[in-house]
Amino acid sequence: MRALGIQKSPMPGFALGMGITMTMLSLIVVLPVGALLAQGAGYGLENVWTTVNTPRVWAALYLSFRLAFFAALFNLAFGTLLAWVLARYDFPGRRLVDAFVDLPFALPTAVAGIALTALYAPNGVFGGIARELGGKIAYTQWGILVALIFVGLPFVTRTVQPVIAEIEQEVEEASATLGAERFYTLRRVILPMLLPAALTGFALSLARAVGEYGSVIFIAGNLPLKTEIAPLLIVIKLEEFDYDGAAAIGIAMLLISFSMLLAINLIQIWSRRRIGHV
Amino acid sequence: MHIEIDEIAKSFGSTTALHPVSLAIPSGALVALLGPSGSGKTTLLRILGGLEFPTSGRVLFDGQDATGLTVQERRAGFVFQSYALFRHMTVFENIAYGLRARPRRTRPPQAEIERRVTKLLELIQLPQIAKRFPSQLSGGQRQRVALARALAIEPRMLLLDEPFGALDARVRKELRQGLREIHDTTGLTTVFVTHDQDEAMELADLVVVMSMGRIEQVGRPQDIRARPATPFVRAFIDA
Amino acid sequence: MSDGTQTLPAKWRPVTEESRPVRIALIAAALAGLAVLVLAPLVVVFAEALARGAAEAVASLVQPDARAAVKLTLLVAAVAVPVNAVFGIAAAWTITKFDFRGKAFLITLIDLPFSISPVVAGLALVLLFGTNSLVGGWLVASGFPIIFALPGIVLATIFVTFPFVARELIPVMIEQGRAEEEAALTLGASGWRAFLTVTLPNIKWALLYGVLLCNARAMGEFGAVAVVSGKIRGQTATMPITIEMMYNEYLSVAAFSLAAVLALLGLLTLALKTVLEWRHADQLAASRRH
Repeated sequence: MRALGIQKSPMPGFALGMGITMTMLSLIVVLPVGALLAQGAGYGLENVWTTVNTPRVWAALYLSFRLAFFAALFNLAFGTLLAWVLARYDFPGRRLVDAFVDLPFALPTAVAGIALTALYAPNGVFGGIARELGGKIAYTQWGILVALIFVGLPFVTRTVQPVIAEIEQEVEEASATLGAERFYTLRRVILPMLLPAALTGFALSLARAVGEYGSVIFIAGNLPLKTEIAPLLIVIKLEEFDYDGAAAIGIAMLLISFSMLLAINLIQIWSRRRIGHV
Repeated sequence: MHIEIDEIAKSFGSTTALHPVSLAIPSGALVALLGPSGSGKTTLLRILGGLEFPTSGRVLFDGQDATGLTVQERRAGFVFQSYALFRHMTVFENIAYGLRARPRRTRPPQAEIERRVTKLLELIQLPQIAKRFPSQLSGGQRQRVALARALAIEPRMLLLDEPFGALDARVRKELRQGLREIHDTTGLTTVFVTHDQDEAMELADLVVVMSMGRIEQVGRPQDIRARPATPFVRAFIDA
Repeated sequence: MSDGTQTLPAKWRPVTEESRPVRIALIAAALAGLAVLVLAPLVVVFAEALARGAAEAVASLVQPDARAAVKLTLLVAAVAVPVNAVFGIAAAWTITKFDFRGKAFLITLIDLPFSISPVVAGLALVLLFGTNSLVGGWLVASGFPIIFALPGIVLATIFVTFPFVARELIPVMIEQGRAEEEAALTLGASGWRAFLTVTLPNIKWALLYGVLLCNARAMGEFGAVAVVSGKIRGQTATMPITIEMMYNEYLSVAAFSLAAVLALLGLLTLALKTVLEWRHADQLAASRRH
């Protein structure tokens, strides 16, 4: 135990707790992810690159990332608005609405997927309106965007809401006594204070959307080069028993996820340094 | 500027924070609103600053009715108990805030803003901290930055809510002198709220003793000490 | 004017509030957005399920495929959720009651499944346990296949729900510190006794909260399970997988009826979660800030 660097503690259960934790972590997370990387290594870096570097894979990765980015951007704006309304305004049913915001977390993705498709398909309620206006939502990139907005909706609201609750009233009053109109206060004082939390929510929403599968495949149309998302390509490769190809795309997606995880951490470090931890 | 408080009363729902009170503050005076918590002193200060609207009564600035003026129109330099500095802005940006918030017509050019902020930093004797963030300042420095920020808008009066409340005893003594000096340099009518009778007596030209939403006595420090008008005042200044 | 309440001048309002029209506009925008983006999909699930009447919806739920799917999903959750609860408690205990090197790294590893696409998670399991791999080949040969079988579905479900319980418990246990357990130990309690009589009562609501979220995700997981299950009708098709198969076969009422069951489960989860947040805000407060 010394070797692990644990300090002497009167508390029992370290060996048991650590044992369970490490066993589970290895079996469920570390070994499978290791197997994925090993498959990639066995396939060879060059072959992994050749697999990824095809128009179809690039198109899928670019589509997943681009639409995830736009969905997260929408959620950044709407989620912040929602957080503000829920934290600041009182209206009948506010608590119910507040609880309801988490529905996208509680609704299984496959359920969301078929529901959104039914809603936005040309014979659905919203899809019908779009058709009247000469547009199409389901089975186009717009449909994917709608699904990705849905699954990422609560993130920004849930990160921003507690920060709004913590803003001191005196800071807003100070701004007003210095002559600032309310809109100026919102823009120059309150929004910058919410920004770090909002960006964290943005990154979480983005990370979720990039890897999303269940809610998207029903509404996407899944046309190669047009509406085919990256996770679907993995499923297709697996159905063709092309394990190397699937691993190559999986590794590419892992890299994207990790760079986003890194970005989240950098944002948090940056904001903590700038605003100070209170 | 001469301030007149005419029968001002304020209640929040069913609780009465201020019974009708009247008070005249001569131009250029340094006035302390002294009283225990719940005496209504902060409410009165916030009504002067336009942060609360009185339930009844009027506020007159230089004889003009100012009751309906919004907080933005009042141009009262307000220093909050927590200082309420903007955490995401440097000291420079904090002080420049009021100038930048003005509509384009009256907003000074960047060079003028820089000149004024530099001058204010000198006035509070902290010329070297312009680029720091509030989280990097000591309590005393924060208080002085808040003061400079309030002065930047060229206020018609200076209102301070427990300006020394969050400081330790040593810094508090130092900054009392600082406030006196700034008051004397600017000549602004200054009202500050305190629960510390030493602070009020040492610093103010005029002390207003308050209790339970009423004014108990108004007078110069030595007069209040010599002739307390009510048993409350006697007990409070003896404590 | 010195007596009676005077009316507020029109331009005067509390400085920390937006004007009434702005407030109303923002509330309306938020509610309209939520109605279109979140409420409408929920309503559609039930509307489509009942499109041909309640009788047909119910009938579709009692057919063998649907019943097998419900059974399988319950079975998977019944294994995955307790496993994750035990893991979550063990991990939170280890992390919060002891100081050791590499703790931050351990926490990162526990959080890792949140940032991995479910499909990639399924793929990783296939590569480790599939017939093409060493381990998988041997397991299949010895009559214990993992991929395209129940163990694979359970493993995939545990993977995607891995951080849920630990994440709820860690902040709560950090806030509660170690003093109470130490006191129990000095009073002569055994380690287990200290855990059962001191720690567990302190974390029970946070634990329940984590289990609730874990269960909702476990029953609804699609991407990871789709990859490892093989989608064998009546055998490895969980409720979400069955929904997909029925939907692709244009069995709309059947698909949406099964979806409605999961949606009800989601609503129930949401309701219980909200009740926990209201009733035990003090104990959950620490974890609401991640």
